[in-house]
Amino acid sequence: MTTIPSSLPVSRFWTDAPVLAMAALAVAATALPVLVAHGLDARRVMDEPVWLKPLKFHIALVIYLATLAFYARFMPEAARMGRGWQVFSVIVAASVVLELVWIDGAAMLGVRSHFNHSGLWAVVYPVMGVVAITLTAASLWMGLAIRGNDMLDPALRLSLVLGLVLTFVLTVGAAGFLAGGTGHLVGTPVTGAKVPLMGWSREVGDLRIAHFIAAHALHALPLLGWALAVLGLGGTAFGLVAVWGAAVLYVAVVVATLAQALAGMPLI
Amino acid sequence: MQMTPEMLFQLSGPVALLGWLALVLSPLRPALAQVVAGVVVPLVLSVGYAGLILAHWAGAEGGFGSLADVAALFANPWLLLAGWLHYLAFDLLVGAWIVRRARAEGVHHALVLPCLALTFLFGPIGFFAFSVLRLTLSRPKVAQ
Repeated sequence: MTTIPSSLPVSRFWTDAPVLAMAALAVAATALPVLVAHGLDARRVMDEPVWLKPLKFHIALVIYLATLAFYARFMPEAARMGRGWQVFSVIVAASVVLELVWIDGAAMLGVRSHFNHSGLWAVVYPVMGVVAITLTAASLWMGLAIRGNDMLDPALRLSLVLGLVLTFVLTVGAAGFLAGGTGHLVGTPVTGAKVPLMGWSREVGDLRIAHFIAAHALHALPLLGWALAVLGLGGTAFGLVAVWGAAVLYVAVVVATLAQALAGMPLI
Repeated sequence: MQMTPEMLFQLSGPVALLGWLALVLSPLRPALAQVVAGVVVPLVLSVGYAGLILAHWAGAEGGFGSLADVAALFANPWLLLAGWLHYLAFDLLVGAWIVRRARAEGVHHALVLPCLALTFLFGPIGFFAFSVLRLTLSRPKVAQ
Protein backbone atom coordinates (compact mmCIF):
# COMPACT_ATOMS: atom_id res chain seq x y z
CA MET A 1 0.00 0.00 0.00
CA THR A 2 1.23 3.48 -0.76
CA THR A 3 0.18 6.72 0.87
CA ILE A 4 0.38 10.25 -0.43
CA PRO A 5 1.10 12.80 2.32
CA SER A 6 -1.51 15.33 1.24
CA SER A 7 -4.25 12.98 2.47
CA LEU A 8 -3.01 13.29 6.07
CA PRO A 9 -4.50 15.83 8.45
CA VAL A 10 -2.38 18.90 9.24
CA SER A 11 -3.06 18.60 12.97
CA ARG A 12 -0.63 15.68 13.16
CA PHE A 13 2.07 18.36 13.12
CA TRP A 14 1.60 18.92 16.86
CA THR A 15 1.41 15.28 17.90
CA ASP A 16 3.90 13.25 15.81
CA ALA A 17 6.99 14.95 17.28
CA PRO A 18 5.46 17.25 19.91
CA VAL A 19 8.79 18.32 21.41
CA LEU A 20 10.14 19.47 18.03
CA ALA A 21 6.86 21.19 17.08
CA MET A 22 6.73 23.04 20.40
CA ALA A 23 10.39 24.00 20.05
CA ALA A 24 9.63 25.44 16.59
CA LEU A 25 6.85 27.55 18.08
CA ALA A 26 9.02 28.73 20.96
CA VAL A 27 11.89 29.71 18.65
CA ALA A 28 9.42 31.63 16.46
CA ALA A 29 7.86 33.44 19.43
CA THR A 30 11.23 34.43 20.88
CA ALA A 31 12.16 35.90 17.50
CA LEU A 32 9.74 38.75 18.29
CA PRO A 33 11.89 40.48 20.96
CA VAL A 34 14.93 39.85 18.73
CA LEU A 35 13.09 41.63 15.91
CA VAL A 36 12.34 44.56 18.25
CA ALA A 37 16.00 44.67 19.33
CA HIS A 38 17.01 44.62 15.64
CA GLY A 39 14.92 47.75 15.13
CA LEU A 40 16.32 49.54 18.20
CA ASP A 41 19.99 48.60 18.28
CA ALA A 42 22.42 50.57 16.13
CA ARG A 43 25.46 48.48 17.14
CA ARG A 44 27.30 46.57 14.44
CA VAL A 45 29.33 43.37 14.59
CA MET A 46 31.51 42.38 11.64
CA ASP A 47 30.03 45.34 9.72
CA GLU A 48 26.46 44.04 10.03
CA PRO A 49 23.59 45.06 12.34
CA VAL A 50 24.21 43.14 15.54
CA TRP A 51 20.81 41.38 15.62
CA LEU A 52 20.76 40.30 11.96
CA LYS A 53 22.57 37.03 12.59
CA PRO A 54 20.40 36.03 15.60
CA LEU A 55 17.33 36.78 13.51
CA LYS A 56 18.61 34.53 10.71
CA PHE A 57 19.30 31.73 13.20
CA HIS A 58 15.81 31.99 14.70
CA ILE A 59 14.24 31.81 11.23
CA ALA A 60 16.48 28.94 10.10
CA LEU A 61 15.85 26.89 13.23
CA VAL A 62 12.07 27.42 13.07
CA ILE A 63 12.13 26.08 9.50
CA TYR A 64 14.36 23.14 10.49
CA LEU A 65 12.33 22.14 13.55
CA ALA A 66 8.98 22.61 11.80
CA THR A 67 10.18 20.48 8.88
CA LEU A 68 11.25 17.66 11.21
CA ALA A 69 7.98 17.91 13.15
CA PHE A 70 6.10 17.60 9.85
CA TYR A 71 8.25 14.71 8.53
CA ALA A 72 7.83 12.77 11.78
CA ARG A 73 4.59 11.35 10.33
CA PHE A 74 6.69 9.45 7.78
CA MET A 75 8.61 7.58 10.48
CA PRO A 76 7.35 4.07 11.26
CA GLU A 77 5.07 4.15 14.30
CA ALA A 78 7.51 2.07 16.36
CA ALA A 79 10.42 4.42 15.62
CA ARG A 80 8.35 7.50 16.39
CA MET A 81 7.09 6.10 19.68
CA GLY A 82 10.45 4.56 20.62
CA ARG A 83 12.16 5.68 23.80
CA GLY A 84 15.41 6.49 21.98
CA TRP A 85 13.84 8.95 19.58
CA GLN A 86 11.73 10.58 22.29
CA VAL A 87 14.76 11.17 24.49
CA PHE A 88 16.82 12.34 21.52
CA SER A 89 14.08 14.86 20.54
CA VAL A 90 14.43 16.47 23.97
CA ILE A 91 18.22 16.60 23.56
CA VAL A 92 17.79 18.22 20.13
CA ALA A 93 15.33 20.82 21.46
CA ALA A 94 17.70 21.57 24.33
CA SER A 95 20.58 21.94 21.85
CA VAL A 96 18.55 24.45 19.84
CA VAL A 97 17.87 26.45 23.00
CA LEU A 98 21.58 26.39 23.96
CA GLU A 99 22.60 27.48 20.47
CA LEU A 100 20.20 30.42 20.53
CA VAL A 101 21.13 31.48 24.07
CA TRP A 102 24.72 31.57 22.87
CA ILE A 103 24.02 33.51 19.66
CA ASP A 104 21.46 35.90 21.20
CA GLY A 105 23.68 36.37 24.24
CA ALA A 106 26.71 37.27 22.12
CA ALA A 107 24.60 39.80 20.19
CA MET A 108 23.32 41.27 23.46
CA LEU A 109 26.93 41.79 24.55
CA GLY A 110 27.86 43.07 21.11
CA VAL A 111 30.50 40.43 20.39
CA ARG A 112 30.91 37.63 17.83
CA SER A 113 29.50 34.20 18.60
CA HIS A 114 31.21 32.04 15.97
CA PHE A 115 34.96 32.58 15.45
CA ASN A 116 35.26 34.27 18.84
CA HIS A 117 38.59 33.15 20.28
CA SER A 118 38.83 35.49 23.25
CA GLY A 119 38.48 34.48 26.90
CA LEU A 120 35.49 32.36 27.88
CA TRP A 121 34.01 32.60 24.36
CA ALA A 122 36.95 30.56 23.08
CA VAL A 123 35.98 27.79 25.49
CA VAL A 124 32.31 27.91 24.53
CA TYR A 125 32.86 27.98 20.75
CA PRO A 126 33.95 24.33 20.28
CA VAL A 127 31.24 23.18 22.70
CA MET A 128 28.71 24.92 20.47
CA GLY A 129 30.12 22.96 17.54
CA VAL A 130 29.16 19.73 19.30
CA VAL A 131 25.74 21.19 20.11
CA ALA A 132 25.22 22.15 16.46
CA ILE A 133 26.18 18.65 15.27
CA THR A 134 23.76 17.18 17.82
CA LEU A 135 20.82 19.22 16.58
CA THR A 136 21.70 18.45 12.96
CA ALA A 137 21.86 14.74 13.81
CA ALA A 138 18.07 14.80 14.27
CA SER A 139 17.77 14.74 10.48
CA LEU A 140 20.15 11.76 10.27
CA TRP A 141 18.17 9.82 12.88
CA MET A 142 14.87 10.61 11.18
CA GLY A 143 16.20 9.77 7.72
CA LEU A 144 17.44 6.35 8.84
CA ALA A 145 14.14 5.67 10.62
CA ILE A 146 12.03 6.55 7.56
CA ARG A 147 14.05 3.97 5.57
CA GLY A 148 12.10 1.30 7.43
CA ASN A 149 8.65 2.62 6.56
CA ASP A 150 7.27 0.31 3.82
CA MET A 151 3.87 2.06 3.93
CA LEU A 152 5.31 5.02 2.03
CA ASP A 153 5.50 5.63 -1.68
CA PRO A 154 8.98 4.31 -2.70
CA ALA A 155 10.24 7.46 -4.44
CA LEU A 156 8.93 9.71 -1.68
CA ARG A 157 10.54 7.48 0.94
CA LEU A 158 13.88 7.42 -0.88
CA SER A 159 13.81 11.20 -1.30
CA LEU A 160 13.08 11.72 2.40
CA VAL A 161 15.84 9.33 3.45
CA LEU A 162 18.42 10.85 1.09
CA GLY A 163 17.35 14.42 1.80
CA LEU A 164 17.51 13.99 5.57
CA VAL A 165 20.76 12.02 5.61
CA LEU A 166 22.41 14.41 3.15
CA THR A 167 21.31 17.40 5.23
CA PHE A 168 23.31 15.95 8.10
CA VAL A 169 26.35 14.78 6.13
CA LEU A 170 26.69 17.81 3.85
CA THR A 171 25.84 20.43 6.49
CA VAL A 172 28.30 19.04 9.02
CA GLY A 173 30.88 18.79 6.22
CA ALA A 174 30.38 22.38 5.07
CA ALA A 175 30.27 23.60 8.68
CA GLY A 176 33.60 21.84 9.25
CA PHE A 177 35.22 23.97 6.54
CA LEU A 178 33.60 27.05 8.07
CA ALA A 179 34.76 26.28 11.59
CA GLY A 180 38.28 25.47 10.39
CA GLY A 181 38.82 29.01 9.13
CA THR A 182 38.83 32.40 10.79
CA GLY A 183 35.50 33.58 9.34
CA HIS A 184 32.88 32.77 6.71
CA LEU A 185 34.68 34.69 3.97
CA VAL A 186 37.67 33.56 1.92
CA GLY A 187 39.39 36.74 0.82
CA THR A 188 39.07 40.36 1.89
CA PRO A 189 36.07 42.27 0.55
CA VAL A 190 36.63 45.87 -0.52
CA THR A 191 33.23 47.29 -1.46
CA GLY A 192 31.16 44.99 0.77
CA ALA A 193 28.75 44.09 -2.07
CA LYS A 194 26.32 41.37 -0.99
CA VAL A 195 23.54 39.18 -2.36
CA PRO A 196 20.24 40.73 -1.19
CA LEU A 197 18.52 39.01 1.75
CA MET A 198 21.07 36.20 2.06
CA GLY A 199 23.99 38.55 2.66
CA TRP A 200 26.55 36.40 0.81
CA SER A 201 29.59 38.24 -0.50
CA ARG A 202 29.61 39.15 -4.19
CA GLU A 203 33.34 39.84 -4.18
CA VAL A 204 35.09 36.98 -2.39
CA GLY A 205 34.46 33.34 -1.43
CA ASP A 206 31.60 32.83 1.05
CA LEU A 207 31.49 29.43 2.78
CA ARG A 208 27.93 30.01 4.00
CA ILE A 209 26.55 29.35 0.51
CA ALA A 210 27.46 25.64 0.55
CA HIS A 211 26.25 25.39 4.17
CA PHE A 212 22.89 26.90 3.20
CA ILE A 213 22.36 24.62 0.19
CA ALA A 214 23.49 21.58 2.22
CA ALA A 215 21.03 22.33 5.01
CA HIS A 216 18.12 22.47 2.56
CA ALA A 217 18.63 18.99 1.11
CA LEU A 218 15.79 17.87 3.38
CA HIS A 219 13.47 20.22 1.48
CA ALA A 220 14.71 19.94 -2.10
CA LEU A 221 14.87 16.15 -2.50
CA PRO A 222 11.54 15.31 -0.77
CA LEU A 223 9.87 17.98 -2.91
CA LEU A 224 10.95 15.99 -5.98
CA GLY A 225 9.92 12.71 -4.37
CA TRP A 226 6.53 14.12 -3.49
CA ALA A 227 6.03 15.42 -7.06
CA LEU A 228 6.93 11.99 -8.46
CA ALA A 229 4.48 10.33 -6.07
CA VAL A 230 1.67 12.72 -7.01
CA LEU A 231 2.36 12.05 -10.70
CA GLY A 232 2.04 8.32 -10.01
CA LEU A 233 5.71 7.66 -10.83
CA GLY A 234 6.70 6.87 -7.25
CA GLY A 235 6.71 3.10 -7.66
CA THR A 236 8.51 3.08 -11.01
CA ALA A 237 12.19 2.53 -11.75
CA PHE A 238 12.22 5.96 -13.35
CA GLY A 239 11.04 7.54 -10.08
CA LEU A 240 13.81 5.93 -8.04
CA VAL A 241 16.49 6.73 -10.62
CA ALA A 242 15.28 10.34 -10.74
CA VAL A 243 15.61 10.68 -6.97
CA TRP A 244 19.08 9.10 -6.93
CA GLY A 245 20.14 11.32 -9.84
CA ALA A 246 18.88 14.42 -8.08
CA ALA A 247 20.74 13.42 -4.91
CA VAL A 248 24.02 12.99 -6.81
CA LEU A 249 23.46 16.35 -8.51
CA TYR A 250 22.73 17.93 -5.15
CA VAL A 251 25.96 16.66 -3.64
CA ALA A 252 27.82 17.96 -6.71
CA VAL A 253 26.30 21.43 -6.30
CA VAL A 254 27.27 21.58 -2.63
CA VAL A 255 30.81 20.41 -3.38
CA ALA A 256 31.09 22.89 -6.28
CA THR A 257 29.89 25.89 -4.23
CA LEU A 258 32.21 24.85 -1.43
CA ALA A 259 35.19 24.55 -3.82
CA GLN A 260 34.28 27.89 -5.41
CA ALA A 261 34.19 29.60 -2.01
CA LEU A 262 37.45 27.97 -0.91
CA ALA A 263 39.01 29.30 -4.12
CA GLY A 264 37.94 32.78 -3.01
CA MET A 265 35.32 33.23 -5.74
CA PRO A 266 31.81 34.61 -5.18
CA LEU A 267 28.72 32.69 -6.38
CA ILE A 268 27.45 35.58 -8.49
CA MET B 1 13.64 56.78 10.41
CA GLN B 2 15.56 56.15 13.62
CA MET B 3 13.43 55.26 16.64
CA THR B 4 14.09 57.39 19.71
CA PRO B 5 13.15 56.49 23.31
CA GLU B 6 10.81 59.50 23.31
CA MET B 7 8.90 58.21 20.26
CA LEU B 8 8.44 54.79 21.81
CA PHE B 9 7.34 56.38 25.07
CA GLN B 10 4.66 58.34 23.20
CA LEU B 11 3.59 55.10 21.54
CA SER B 12 3.42 53.08 24.76
CA GLY B 13 0.85 55.34 26.47
CA PRO B 14 -2.06 54.70 24.09
CA VAL B 15 -1.25 50.97 24.03
CA ALA B 16 -1.52 50.75 27.82
CA LEU B 17 -4.61 52.98 27.88
CA LEU B 18 -6.35 50.54 25.55
CA GLY B 19 -5.94 47.90 28.26
CA TRP B 20 -7.23 50.18 31.01
CA LEU B 21 -10.23 51.17 28.87
CA ALA B 22 -11.03 47.47 28.46
CA LEU B 23 -10.95 47.04 32.26
CA VAL B 24 -13.18 50.08 32.88
CA LEU B 25 -15.72 48.72 30.39
CA SER B 26 -15.22 45.10 31.48
CA PRO B 27 -18.81 44.52 32.75
CA LEU B 28 -19.96 44.79 29.13
CA ARG B 29 -17.64 42.07 27.78
CA PRO B 30 -15.75 40.45 30.69
CA ALA B 31 -13.99 37.76 28.64
CA LEU B 32 -12.84 40.18 25.94
CA ALA B 33 -11.60 42.65 28.58
CA GLN B 34 -9.43 39.91 30.12
CA VAL B 35 -7.98 38.97 26.76
CA VAL B 36 -7.12 42.60 25.99
CA ALA B 37 -5.94 43.78 29.42
CA GLY B 38 -4.70 40.49 30.85
CA VAL B 39 -2.98 39.00 27.80
CA VAL B 40 -2.61 40.99 24.57
CA VAL B 41 -1.54 44.45 25.82
CA PRO B 42 0.84 43.08 28.50
CA LEU B 43 2.38 40.78 25.87
CA VAL B 44 2.92 43.65 23.43
CA LEU B 45 4.59 45.65 26.22
CA SER B 46 6.63 42.59 27.27
CA VAL B 47 7.96 42.02 23.75
CA GLY B 48 8.93 45.69 23.58
CA TYR B 49 10.58 45.47 27.00
CA ALA B 50 12.50 42.33 26.05
CA GLY B 51 13.71 43.97 22.84
CA LEU B 52 14.92 47.02 24.77
CA ILE B 53 16.81 44.86 27.27
CA LEU B 54 18.41 42.77 24.50
CA ALA B 55 19.49 45.92 22.67
CA HIS B 56 20.59 48.16 25.54
CA TRP B 57 21.31 46.19 28.70
CA ALA B 58 24.87 45.09 27.98
CA GLY B 59 26.39 48.54 27.52
CA ALA B 60 24.61 50.14 30.46
CA GLU B 61 26.11 51.63 33.59
CA GLY B 62 24.78 50.84 37.05
CA GLY B 63 22.68 47.92 38.27
CA PHE B 64 20.45 46.87 41.15
CA GLY B 65 23.07 46.79 43.91
CA SER B 66 22.53 50.25 45.38
CA LEU B 67 20.20 53.17 44.89
CA ALA B 68 23.04 55.02 43.16
CA ASP B 69 23.41 52.03 40.80
CA VAL B 70 19.68 52.13 40.00
CA ALA B 71 19.90 55.88 39.39
CA ALA B 72 22.84 55.34 37.03
CA LEU B 73 20.86 52.63 35.22
CA PHE B 74 17.88 54.91 34.70
CA ALA B 75 20.12 57.76 33.52
CA ASN B 76 20.15 55.79 30.25
CA PRO B 77 16.95 56.86 28.41
CA TRP B 78 16.55 53.44 26.74
CA LEU B 79 16.56 51.65 30.09
CA LEU B 80 14.38 54.36 31.62
CA LEU B 81 11.91 53.59 28.84
CA ALA B 82 12.25 49.85 29.58
CA GLY B 83 11.52 50.56 33.24
CA TRP B 84 8.46 52.55 32.19
CA LEU B 85 7.18 49.66 30.03
CA HIS B 86 7.72 47.41 33.04
CA TYR B 87 5.40 49.65 35.08
CA LEU B 88 2.80 49.81 32.32
CA ALA B 89 2.76 46.04 31.75
CA PHE B 90 2.68 44.93 35.39
CA ASP B 91 0.27 47.60 36.62
CA LEU B 92 -2.14 46.53 33.90
CA LEU B 93 -1.74 42.86 34.86
CA VAL B 94 -2.60 43.77 38.45
CA GLY B 95 -5.60 45.75 37.15
CA ALA B 96 -6.80 42.71 35.18
CA TRP B 97 -6.31 40.50 38.25
CA ILE B 98 -8.36 42.96 40.38
CA VAL B 99 -11.22 42.79 37.87
CA ARG B 100 -11.08 38.97 37.83
CA ARG B 101 -11.08 38.70 41.64
CA ALA B 102 -13.85 41.27 41.95
CA ARG B 103 -16.07 39.34 39.53
CA ALA B 104 -15.39 36.04 41.27
CA GLU B 105 -16.17 37.52 44.68
CA GLY B 106 -19.18 39.55 43.54
CA VAL B 107 -17.64 42.98 44.28
CA HIS B 108 -19.61 45.71 42.53
CA HIS B 109 -17.81 47.36 39.59
CA ALA B 110 -18.50 50.82 41.04
CA LEU B 111 -16.23 49.88 43.96
CA VAL B 112 -13.62 48.42 41.62
CA LEU B 113 -13.28 51.55 39.49
CA PRO B 114 -11.51 53.67 42.18
CA CYS B 115 -9.12 50.76 42.80
CA LEU B 116 -8.38 50.61 39.07
CA ALA B 117 -7.77 54.38 38.98
CA LEU B 118 -5.32 54.08 41.88
CA THR B 119 -3.56 51.10 40.28
CA PHE B 120 -3.29 53.03 37.03
CA LEU B 121 -1.73 56.06 38.74
CA PHE B 122 0.11 54.60 41.73
CA GLY B 123 0.27 50.81 41.15
CA PRO B 124 0.79 49.42 44.66
CA ILE B 125 -1.68 51.88 46.24
CA GLY B 126 -4.41 50.46 44.00
CA PHE B 127 -3.49 46.94 45.04
CA PHE B 128 -3.55 48.02 48.69
CA ALA B 129 -6.92 49.73 48.25
CA PHE B 130 -8.44 46.64 46.63
CA SER B 131 -7.02 44.45 49.39
CA VAL B 132 -8.61 46.71 52.03
CA LEU B 133 -11.88 46.56 50.08
CA ARG B 134 -11.81 42.73 49.99
CA LEU B 135 -10.97 42.55 53.67
CA THR B 136 -13.80 44.93 54.54
CA LEU B 137 -16.36 43.12 52.41
CA SER B 138 -15.34 39.71 53.71
CA ARG B 139 -15.96 40.56 57.43
CA PRO B 140 -19.76 40.24 57.46
CA LYS B 141 -19.52 36.89 55.62
CA VAL B 142 -17.00 35.58 58.13
CA ALA B 143 -19.16 36.79 61.05
CA GLN B 144 -22.20 34.82 59.83
